[in-house]
Amino acid sequence: MTIIALYSNKGGVGKTATAVNLAYLAAQSGATTLLCDLDPQSSATFYFRIKPKLKKKARGFLEPGKAIENSIKGSDYTNLDLLPADFSHRNLDLRFYDHKKPVNRLRKVLKPLSQEYDYIFLDCPPTINILAENIFNASDYLLVPLIPTTLSLRTHLQLLDFLDDNGYKSKNIFTFLSMVDRRKNLHKELSTEMPNRLKNALPVAIPYQSQVEQMGIRREPVPAFAPQCEAALAYEALWQELSSRLE
Amino acid sequence: MNQFILPAGFEAQQVVELLENETAVATSAIQAVITESPTSEQVSIYDTFDWRLYNQKFALFSVGSQFTLRDLVEGKTAVQLELDELPQFVWDMPPGLFRAKLAPILSMRALLPMANVSHQKTVHRLLNEDEKTVAWVMYEVFAPVRNGETALLQLLSIQPVRGYVKAETQLVDLCHQQNFEATDDEIIPMLLMACGHEPGSYSAKLNVDLKPDMRADAAVNVILRYLFQVMKMNEQYIKQDVDTEFLHDYRVSVRRTRSALSQVNAVFPEAYTQRFKKDFKFIGKLSNQLRDLDVYLLAEADYKAKLPEFLQEDIHPLFEYLQSKREDALQAVISELDSAEYRRIVQDWELFLEEPPTKDKTAVNATMPILELAQKRIYKRYQRIIKVGNAILKDQQDELLHALRLECKNLRYLMEFFATLFPPDQISILIRQLKQLQDNLGDFNDFCVQEVYLLHVGREMPIRGQASRDALIAIGCLVGALHQRREQVKSEFAGTFTSFAAPQNKALFTDLFAPHKKDNKKKGGKA
Repeated sequence: MTIIALYSNKGGVGKTATAVNLAYLAAQSGATTLLCDLDPQSSATFYFRIKPKLKKKARGFLEPGKAIENSIKGSDYTNLDLLPADFSHRNLDLRFYDHKKPVNRLRKVLKPLSQEYDYIFLDCPPTINILAENIFNASDYLLVPLIPTTLSLRTHLQLLDFLDDNGYKSKNIFTFLSMVDRRKNLHKELSTEMPNRLKNALPVAIPYQSQVEQMGIRREPVPAFAPQCEAALAYEALWQELSSRLE
Repeated sequence: MNQFILPAGFEAQQVVELLENETAVATSAIQAVITESPTSEQVSIYDTFDWRLYNQKFALFSVGSQFTLRDLVEGKTAVQLELDELPQFVWDMPPGLFRAKLAPILSMRALLPMANVSHQKTVHRLLNEDEKTVAWVMYEVFAPVRNGETALLQLLSIQPVRGYVKAETQLVDLCHQQNFEATDDEIIPMLLMACGHEPGSYSAKLNVDLKPDMRADAAVNVILRYLFQVMKMNEQYIKQDVDTEFLHDYRVSVRRTRSALSQVNAVFPEAYTQRFKKDFKFIGKLSNQLRDLDVYLLAEADYKAKLPEFLQEDIHPLFEYLQSKREDALQAVISELDSAEYRRIVQDWELFLEEPPTKDKTAVNATMPILELAQKRIYKRYQRIIKVGNAILKDQQDELLHALRLECKNLRYLMEFFATLFPPDQISILIRQLKQLQDNLGDFNDFCVQEVYLLHVGREMPIRGQASRDALIAIGCLVGALHQRREQVKSEFAGTFTSFAAPQNKALFTDLFAPHKKDNKKKGGKA
């Protein structure tokens, strides 16, 4: 089992859209896949038309046992399941401290699922506190969407420093360009420049396209309703690129 | 998977109506039904003539170019492969999981198309109030054809979505309310049977149920009829050269027939027995050469493994040469099987077997109860084997080993003919012990014969260039390796025989077959 976290400490960079589309593509390739929605806003859950409800709320989420397995819902697609978010996830940070070794709790919670799934994708809320540490410890790879702006580049470099200082392996942190708007000159410039400035930048840019926004109306992954559109092809390329680099 | 058989005459539209009725109630787990357009395809089912896949609880079928091996015990796909065409033999399949899974089951047998069934499938997606899929319902119509007539098989299966138990329960309840017949049965065996097959039915192993007090001539007739059926079933495939085992099974039946005629003596009028003994000797002989060549060709990989690596490729011309000899041998067998003489023998034999039973005592042993005769014959063979075996222990002559091998074969056939007259666990212990001795003697014989034959072939093979010269060296080396194995097998004889002749086996043989014991302890003895 490989755990991939869609992570950023900024909001609105395309984490959820990427998590939903990549999980869908992984499942389509024949791998048993679970998408785990950790965001109390529960957008990923919404995209799959599933009710944001866990059997025993956030508290149950962190307990080992059947509560998690019983909360998992099948999506409309073969091989793809979802562990829904719950509104109580807004207090998830506090719940970690109910346990011994609070920074490793998420890892322990996901472990029993490793028999069942080839891939687990984590859709994370923007955070840099104990939930973030749990995500870093639980996942095998971090995938960080970057909007081509100076500010997000700066934030990302800060993150890399933080991870480096705390002993996380930088080779398991991938980035790619997200929400790229070709009409903006700055986007164009940075799009060509950034892959050179960053190690482990995947050479894929996900365009800012209306189909991605339509996910909220269609409530389906982009490749499911518009498989030939530019964004769908870009997600496909991103999945190919990423999966070829996983160990 | 919840699977139901629909009653005859049920129609696709009724399925849709049934599901749509479920959406009427506001609290229902199902609020909408989406019916996808039906898809049609052909399902082809494969197995070997002797049902090796089915007997090992597997089913092989194809839809389009997708070939699926299904595990009938686990109820799931074991392995799948895309193929333009299914090779008949495992060795022609592309290397990989598919072949690795099939190889030990199929061995040298050819895959045959057993049935072809057209199939139509309609998928219904059932949605909840959020338009989320909460279950799939599959409506499938299979059209198996049996003797030119089609009897539709309609299945409704409910595929639940994880975490949506209410919808699943609701649908299962609906099917029960409609009195649909729930079934756990696997579809492929169902289809085979609907096409008129009896999966697993063929076996070259003797399978006759005899009663202890049957007249001997009637009992032997039952055995001979069974053997004749096996011969006839295999004969046509020998001519088509489908795989080597049709000839093998055919020959085993011929040998058993000869053994029954000579070992269970004086049950038929002497003139008949003599005539058919001669006829079946002729029938056996006509395919000797073809079978020998089959054995050599099947052993190619084994032979190569006996050679040092640097000679392994050099031996290839030998197998090319044997292959060309086999073509001729096959043609010879085919023309013999089509010959007037062969047809006459088979016809006369069939007439003889079909003759109505008589009340008269047509031969000395004809009216004897079969149990008594079986015991006599088996015990006599057993005593003979012990005598010859003991003689070999004192003086290991090759001729005696060959003689003993034939004695063992006859004993084995006798025990198999009459197995149902004796307690199954005891007879199978003795057969197992006998088999070990037979394996030893059989190996010894094979190595002797092969040694001589390969030297003979080496001398007769045309020498054309370096390749055939290299082949000769490799053949010489192979003969050496076989000779070594032969001596090793010979040295193992004493141990194998001693354990066959051990007191506990002797006691069991005496108990089951010796004349003075016949009134007690036996299943169905004539008390």
